[in-house]
Amino acid sequence: MKMSEVLNRKNQILLSELTKTDFKLRYQGSILGYLWAVIRPLLMFGILYIVFAKFLRFGTDIPHYPVYLLVGIVLWNFFVECTNQGIQSLIIRSDLMRKIAFPKWIIVLSATTTALINLGINLIIVVIFALISGASFNLSWLLVPFFIFELYLLSFGLALFLGSINVKYRDIQSIWEVLIQALFYTVPIIYPLGMVTALSGFAAKVLMLNPIAQVVQDIRFCLITTDTMTGWVLIENIFLKFIPLLVVVGILILGIKVFNKKSKYFAEEI
Amino acid sequence: MRSSYAIEVKNLKKSFKLPTEKAAGLKQAFFNTLKGVKGYTKQEVLKNISFRVKKGEFLGIVGRNGSGKSTLLKVLSKIYVPDSGKIKINGSLVPFIELGVGFNPELTGKENVYLNGALLGFSNAEVDKMYDEIVSFAELEPFMNQKLKNYSSGMQIRLAFSIAIRAKGDILILDEVLAVGDAAFQEKCNEYFKSLKGEQTVIIVTHDMENVKRFCSRAILIENGEIIKDGNPEKVAEAYLDLFKN
Repeated sequence: MKMSEVLNRKNQILLSELTKTDFKLRYQGSILGYLWAVIRPLLMFGILYIVFAKFLRFGTDIPHYPVYLLVGIVLWNFFVECTNQGIQSLIIRSDLMRKIAFPKWIIVLSATTTALINLGINLIIVVIFALISGASFNLSWLLVPFFIFELYLLSFGLALFLGSINVKYRDIQSIWEVLIQALFYTVPIIYPLGMVTALSGFAAKVLMLNPIAQVVQDIRFCLITTDTMTGWVLIENIFLKFIPLLVVVGILILGIKVFNKKSKYFAEEI
Repeated sequence: MRSSYAIEVKNLKKSFKLPTEKAAGLKQAFFNTLKGVKGYTKQEVLKNISFRVKKGEFLGIVGRNGSGKSTLLKVLSKIYVPDSGKIKINGSLVPFIELGVGFNPELTGKENVYLNGALLGFSNAEVDKMYDEIVSFAELEPFMNQKLKNYSSGMQIRLAFSIAIRAKGDILILDEVLAVGDAAFQEKCNEYFKSLKGEQTVIIVTHDMENVKRFCSRAILIENGEIIKDGNPEKVAEAYLDLFKN
């Protein structure tokens, strides 16, 4: 993709038409329709809250723990949806690729944009919950979009990379589903990071090198409570502090490179 | 200087890698690499194709099944990347390898027209301009706000076809889609194609020699990925039929 052509008029229209269609079709034929975009994370939150906050008594020392938990879940769901949909989108749209010439990355961009819209809806709920449970607006809320953008770039890069390999080797889809399950437990979402630092400070630092963990903790810090332990504070080495960001940039560049190389032959290989 | 050619193709080659064993899996790919097996054979589909299409020419491409016609159209439409050779296209090219690509049964007729338009590279404003003509040509005015899944298959194909012929591109490419629908609609399509002759650059792939003689101003016969006859539609149609005589 040439930079000048990335979002020219034609591509913008195609992106918006594909995204609109995606969104329209997602809840097609369900009684509650778009409401599901809101209900799903709420139900998920309800389950995790009962299990972890009530039964296992996690996070008793963290202010606004329920919202704290909800933020983590919402962001994680976004990451899962973004990568899974991004990878599958190329298969779902294979018919188009075989019959019409158009920039293939728009398919991935459209699928991940749909996930981004869902995240937007979910974040509105998070904010409402945060306000109800006593958090109040402050300027650091304005930083949240930057961290979300970071998470989006990571997911987009992964979707480009994995999606382009998945066109030929469908194993990727299944491998990723398992990998992402494993990855879930390495990110301090259902357990507070404090539980890890209590066991091993080193382990906590390693976990925080993961950009997803970094983004989740940073958004919690900005949105809910400044008591949140962020990677920036936890990792002392000034160079290591930038590792999560470098990972994001690295994966994005890898994704774009591999996708550019492979996408020329999608139409014949799919 | 503006070229008088709409399409110029020079020494075009295209081959496909056909998997020998079932190579669609990481495991097989891994073992193939270990064993030094390539896992595919190369099949040359287009061997050194060269031709030029003048502006306003109505070109018919004919040939047996598997001779490379559709591959040629897909390379021209930039769906496939050629192995080597040059393609020069002057103007916008609207390809219809299949009718109604991207049509979604859950969307309304109207929504599908806009989606299809976007896929073909038209802006919403451009589709706005074509929309009434498309609908009236398809004779589907009362149904445009209904979901496509409630259309009969004839209605769906009529809508798709109308988009194809009302889409204003400099070059129109049609694969095996000349006349659809009932007798009355087919007659309308035929009239339309006759009116295009000499006005619009069209490339069609078809097996119907009557249509070649009726619409085309020139025809090309492809056999085993090579052009074996080029010129007068009557003669090319004859040569095509001769292929099947022995």
